[in-house]
Amino acid sequence: MLRNHPTLRHMVGRMGWYLLTFLVAVTINFFLPRLGDANPVDTMMAKVSGSLDSQSAKDKEEAYLKEFGLVEVDSDGTLQRDAAGKPIRTSLASQFGRYLAKSLRGDLGTSILQHPKRVSEIIKTALPWTLALQLPTIVLGWIAGNLLGALAAYRRGVFDRVFYPLALLASAVPAFCVGILLVYLFGIRLEWFPAVGGYDDGMVPSWSWGFLESASYYYVLPFLSIFLIVVGGQAIGMRSMCIYELGTDYVKYAKLLGIRESKILLYMFRNAMLPQLTGLALALGTMVGGALITEMIFSYPGLGMAVLTAIQGNDYPLITGCTLLVTTCVLVANFSVDVLIGFLDPRIRAAHAGGAA
Amino acid sequence: MAPVLEVDHLRVHYLTRFGVKIQAVDDVSFRLEEGQILGIAGESGCGKTTLVSGCMGLYIPPLHHTSGDVRIAGRSIIGLGPEQNRREVLGRRISIIPQGALNSLNPTRKIKDLAADMILSHDESADKKQIHERLRQRFERIGMDAEQVLGAYPVELPAGMKQRAVIGISTLLDPKVVIADEPTSALDVSTQKAVIRLLFDLMDEGIVSSMIFITHELPLLRHVSSSIAVMYAGEFVEVGTTEEVIYHPRHPYTKALMSSTLSAEPGQRIRKPVAIEGAPPNLAKPMVGCRFAERCPTVRPACHTERQHLRLVEGRQVRCDYVE
Amino acid sequence: MKLLLGLFKSPSFLVGIGLFSATVLLALGAPLFFHVDPYTRVGLPFLPPSSAHWLGTDHMGVDMFSMLVTGLRSSLEVGLVAGTVATLAGTLIGVYGGFKGGLVDDVLTAATNLFLVIPSLIVLILLSSSLEHGRSLFLIALIIGCTTWTWSARAVRAQSASLRGRDHVNLARINGYGTFGIVVLHILPYLLSYIFMVFILQTATGILAEASISMLGLGPYDSVSLGKILNEAIRNEALTDGAWWAFAPAMFLVTVIAFALFVINTSMEGVFNPRLRK
Repeated sequence: MLRNHPTLRHMVGRMGWYLLTFLVAVTINFFLPRLGDANPVDTMMAKVSGSLDSQSAKDKEEAYLKEFGLVEVDSDGTLQRDAAGKPIRTSLASQFGRYLAKSLRGDLGTSILQHPKRVSEIIKTALPWTLALQLPTIVLGWIAGNLLGALAAYRRGVFDRVFYPLALLASAVPAFCVGILLVYLFGIRLEWFPAVGGYDDGMVPSWSWGFLESASYYYVLPFLSIFLIVVGGQAIGMRSMCIYELGTDYVKYAKLLGIRESKILLYMFRNAMLPQLTGLALALGTMVGGALITEMIFSYPGLGMAVLTAIQGNDYPLITGCTLLVTTCVLVANFSVDVLIGFLDPRIRAAHAGGAA
Repeated sequence: MAPVLEVDHLRVHYLTRFGVKIQAVDDVSFRLEEGQILGIAGESGCGKTTLVSGCMGLYIPPLHHTSGDVRIAGRSIIGLGPEQNRREVLGRRISIIPQGALNSLNPTRKIKDLAADMILSHDESADKKQIHERLRQRFERIGMDAEQVLGAYPVELPAGMKQRAVIGISTLLDPKVVIADEPTSALDVSTQKAVIRLLFDLMDEGIVSSMIFITHELPLLRHVSSSIAVMYAGEFVEVGTTEEVIYHPRHPYTKALMSSTLSAEPGQRIRKPVAIEGAPPNLAKPMVGCRFAERCPTVRPACHTERQHLRLVEGRQVRCDYVE
Repeated sequence: MKLLLGLFKSPSFLVGIGLFSATVLLALGAPLFFHVDPYTRVGLPFLPPSSAHWLGTDHMGVDMFSMLVTGLRSSLEVGLVAGTVATLAGTLIGVYGGFKGGLVDDVLTAATNLFLVIPSLIVLILLSSSLEHGRSLFLIALIIGCTTWTWSARAVRAQSASLRGRDHVNLARINGYGTFGIVVLHILPYLLSYIFMVFILQTATGILAEASISMLGLGPYDSVSLGKILNEAIRNEALTDGAWWAFAPAMFLVTVIAFALFVINTSMEGVFNPRLRK
């Protein structure tokens, strides 16, 4: 079956590659934080040791060691001890094995800062906010940016002369700058929009109309911060691509054949879009990173804030849990774009089918 | 019977960004009768491509129509607005097989879709189902495997098939005149012959009435056209029958062109090709005297100052006062 | 040489180099002419700009101008070091893979793409957070360099691969030059201008990455950097207090440097790559 469907083959191949990337990401996610001298148990102990005597402290430490999977335990839960009575530490390799198994099950450990809350719980509350902010923003920004870029390339003239430098500026400004500017200008100085948070204090997240109304109000500035940057970047790229496409032989021929202007524009757009999509796949990681920083600036209750507070409190399980999730989301998004490109570009399909004679 | 194509003192110019006017086609006239193939020969930059745009009425700035008329089957195509020109003239009354045909196909569009786009652009009411049947019949008629070619993307076809697909698409609406702009330059010899044969078939089948074959290889026209016009710096410098022009060239430029191309044609003495020295004149500057004077091997002092006009010499037109 | 002169005629290049030089001058020259001290309290927190303190004070009462100048210098250093590391790593991997082709190239490209897809900010966060007690400026620059090399690897590889088939390279191979010799003598010279452009972009990336990571609180422990200034401004509610002098200048500088470097790169592209010249 795979032999006859080059597109399917392409997809399966990409899926395999992404799984490999995921494994590498998980490995990085596990080993990097352990490179230094950071130790979650020590951090936890530092929080409580002041008020305990030595025996309770020792018990507490062992309990934490067990909780964070750093020691070997019997099937009934008691710590295995060596000849001197100290708990046996698990090797890094088996720690990794356990981590892998647990992560795939969705168990990302316990937060240090918000002990005993589980990391997956914290992420579950934060994830929807991040998705709601980033997904529509990046998608809409991509569409709007490409449309505007195409328009500038086709129309040229006054529109282009005004639009181009603006887009250039928007694409060169770092993500957090736009965020800070918007917060300051519209949030604090002009007070048109709230500067901090995802919804009014005192409100509880629900599907009620009142809540949604409040949330959308808080949505505007973060949305604009990310949106403007994405639009700027995409517009610049699309504009050059379209200018190039408009000068190609096939556009000239289409004009000579008497094909309608609107059809020719469609050709230009469709052909310019393909490299834009490839560019999107490469830029997704950066876009998501920038968007996370934007969340932090606005104290938006998404993964960005979760990571920020985790960093500030040395909450390693939470940090790694969030990073793993963000990486997974980026990989999924990348894969979707890849599949889309495979469908849309006949040249890729032909390459897989063996190409022309 | 009115000639299929009449070009009457056509002048076409480019307007550069700085307002400089370049007269790329300067007073060109010719007639194309039904069933006739005219060959136009010249180096790149002589104005061939501009002449083509002019004959089709396609004036996209910075290209502008200066003066003169072009009539297809008696009806002028000058003065129609761009939309009217697009709907009625381009592809319909006169069509082009472009230079670089291999890159002229949109890589992300199947052949049949591109062809359908063309049909629909000229006739919105055409029936979709009928279109595909129509395409299939036409492609089969011109000797192509419709199933294979129509459903393919350009990247899936070899060069020869792409060329023929382009020919098929260009002649879809049975244009009276088809212009073949260097249709054989990027092809190997056997494919060249196949393409030329296809072009003849089109005329034999009545799909097109007449053809203009543009090339820079003058000897190639021996097998193709019945008459030849040699173009240089925006003007015709020699116009006559193929026999006359190829075997007995009169204008110095034609002679130079003939001796600068290798030809394995029987009857052509195998001689060393001689490159034509110098370069074509800069058409942005006002033209004084003969335009070929700088490079002419038989140049006389008067050539630099006296404008040369076409005159009849032994049944053909030559733009030089000093040939006999 | 002619190309270099052409560069100096390009207005965008002049703008870019002018802006960048201005910032470097500020970072290096200010301490020579003004009293720059980012460590002592000189007044109340968040004092607005005055003739005594041109940019007011920060959340601890330290002179903001001093903070800015010191931070500027650190950020520039980090950017340059990170840029160098990233360019070196990327060039080595890219040139080798592009030149060798075949399996080596496939493996290296797959690895590069792998790290390209995984967001570099994430890797940065993971690395930095593990180094709780050792985050010096240099280490951070090193880390940034090690996480942002993927882009240059990709770009250099494409160039190197296109050079692979050139005649002089084949000649060298026939004459018995080893891989190292061919790469150094026959490929690198052609890539020099390209690698330099890559370096400019990587430096810009480095500065932006440092600003981002410092803003998150994972910046250098004992030094001041532009990103750290922003982090402390946000953390200490300079935004809500309206103390624009605590963050706007730093933000402005980061943007200007990045913008200047981008413009320099674009103008270089315009001069060195004739295909782009309209």
